[in-house]
Amino acid sequence: MSVGSLFFSVCALVALVGAVSTVAAKNPIRSAVGLLATIVAIAALFLKLAAQFLAAIQLIVYAGAVVVLFVFVIMLLGPDATTGERPARLRLSRWGGAVLLAAITGAALFVMRKGFGPLVPLGPVRADFGSTEAVGGLVFRGGLVPFEIATALLIVAVVGAIAVARSKPQPKKPRAEGHETRRLFAGPLHPRDAERPLPKESAR
Amino acid sequence: MTELYLPMFIMFAIAAGICAVMFLGGQYLGPKNPTPEKRLPFECGNDTSGTRGVRLSVKFYLTAILFVVFDIEAVFIYPWAALFKGLGWPGFMTMLAFIVALLVALAYCWKKGALEWES
Amino acid sequence: MPTELLKNPYVHGAVYGVVIVTVLMTITAWSIWFERKFAGRMQSRVGPTLVGPFGLLQPLADAVKLLQKEDIVPASADRALFNLAPPLTVLFALGTAAVIPFSPEVIAADLDVGVLWVLAMGGLTVFPVWIAGWASNNKYALLGGMRSVAQGISYEIPLVLAALVPVTLAGSMSISDIVRYQEKNGWVVGMPPGPGILAFLIFFLASLAEANRIPFDIPEAESELIAGVTTEYTGMKFGLFYLAEYLHTLIVAAVGAALFFGGWAGPFGLGSGLHWMVGKTLLLFFGVFWVRWTFLRFRADQLMSLCWKYLVPAGLVLVMLSAFWVHYKAGTRG
Repeated sequence: MSVGSLFFSVCALVALVGAVSTVAAKNPIRSAVGLLATIVAIAALFLKLAAQFLAAIQLIVYAGAVVVLFVFVIMLLGPDATTGERPARLRLSRWGGAVLLAAITGAALFVMRKGFGPLVPLGPVRADFGSTEAVGGLVFRGGLVPFEIATALLIVAVVGAIAVARSKPQPKKPRAEGHETRRLFAGPLHPRDAERPLPKESAR
Repeated sequence: MTELYLPMFIMFAIAAGICAVMFLGGQYLGPKNPTPEKRLPFECGNDTSGTRGVRLSVKFYLTAILFVVFDIEAVFIYPWAALFKGLGWPGFMTMLAFIVALLVALAYCWKKGALEWES
Repeated sequence: MPTELLKNPYVHGAVYGVVIVTVLMTITAWSIWFERKFAGRMQSRVGPTLVGPFGLLQPLADAVKLLQKEDIVPASADRALFNLAPPLTVLFALGTAAVIPFSPEVIAADLDVGVLWVLAMGGLTVFPVWIAGWASNNKYALLGGMRSVAQGISYEIPLVLAALVPVTLAGSMSISDIVRYQEKNGWVVGMPPGPGILAFLIFFLASLAEANRIPFDIPEAESELIAGVTTEYTGMKFGLFYLAEYLHTLIVAAVGAALFFGGWAGPFGLGSGLHWMVGKTLLLFFGVFWVRWTFLRFRADQLMSLCWKYLVPAGLVLVMLSAFWVHYKAGTRG
């Protein structure tokens, strides 16, 4: 086995194990870690295919950013999400998943057995294939309109995130008035203070 | 240069080997005497109170989504920076529009108070 | 050395991989000794003195000690992830080192997108740290992990933007191309209109934050979080975290030296070579120590507003300024 196929096998194995554990893990955090493994392994496969830029982007955007977002959302949902039982209403998605899996396997088998006509070799890869210049040229020479639309999309994302995450800004609570020590320790410091509570409005 | 993954692979293999040696060395050379007290969560000697299951502040989520947006934007700038010399002033203007739009988005976040960690 | 043999990618990768990893690990181990000596001097102490002359064998003694410690896994921890995290931190830190050119030849993999690779690996390092915090099943460790991720991802943006300035000036993402550009045109940090030095400052601050060094070490603030994510780790697993932190700092110093200080190119036409790169890297590394023992820790909200309100907009403006400058110069010349 050459080093190239060893590399491919290791990456493919990691990607598969990660993918299976993403789906099968009981704990959502473990799912996220599995997803991370899959993404990193696919980045390594991009690297092998000489698509260096794509590999780096895969690591930065998907592994670095999107998985972090997933993890934060899982944590945001609280302990129920990280320890919980699976919901019972999974029957439909199980059946759907089984049907889709069967369809994909069937299609793959069909292509492998019969194919769509004879195989045509792709020819030699251009020297700059996958390089930054090639990718950047596609975006900045040919795709200016989609690029500027992407800008708008990013802004919409920011606005949407703020709308989702932030309730109305709370008016600032008035600071405690009165004596300085009362301002510092607005609350019962000692059990006997609890019997003689400070005026209500001074509580921060 | 299609062979670049090779040295990278070798480098990672070496690093993984070193990590494995250090990790397994620590695993097997040290004494093994686990007691229930040792295996409690460490809180400077106090008994544990509460659980790990805390709900996190929504601010972490907001930070993450801002990060995703600005990260994608930076990723757009990189290929431009690598070849903008060939694009001339029109290319410069394209990116200027992009960056101004992002500055506006940042200003919006600031104004909405999304950048305040404590509020 | 038979240079013909070195052209073979397998041999090249293996030789430089082994050399770079070994040298980095060695420097890291003794940098811990150096930092303790240095911190001692700054605080009118003497630092380690007992093991070997000037305490020079201290790192070895530390390693032996860590190996002898009992390995404790908390009963409530997620065992697999708990064990996975420490080696991963070191792995990601060393993965960065592959694309750093120490001289025109001494580089493991001269990626076309070297700068992005460094940033990607730096971004990945937040994961093992967070996993460690979560898998420990200790609320202080988890809080440390959350803070670490929030800080790491926030400061990645200024880091990415600051690293864009050398990329814009040199017109390439390969770190060795950027160094070659600086060989011809002078160091990025001294670029006439000034974005160079400002970009370096942003890069330096953001790197400190990403490596969780003081003044950005709120994720492991001892006085409130015990030891952050490393609270539950003992023996060599703790050692791996410690090693990764120093390794990360060292590698960031090397990247800074290559991107902003001309890498292997010497100053004042003094020739170029490996020694310049190593010297600059160690100087920057020393700078990190100096900052650590001089400044106080920031508060979490100060950290966040420094990043999003000052560094990010400044980074965006600097990128456009340097692009403008490149065009302007090309215009006046042609």
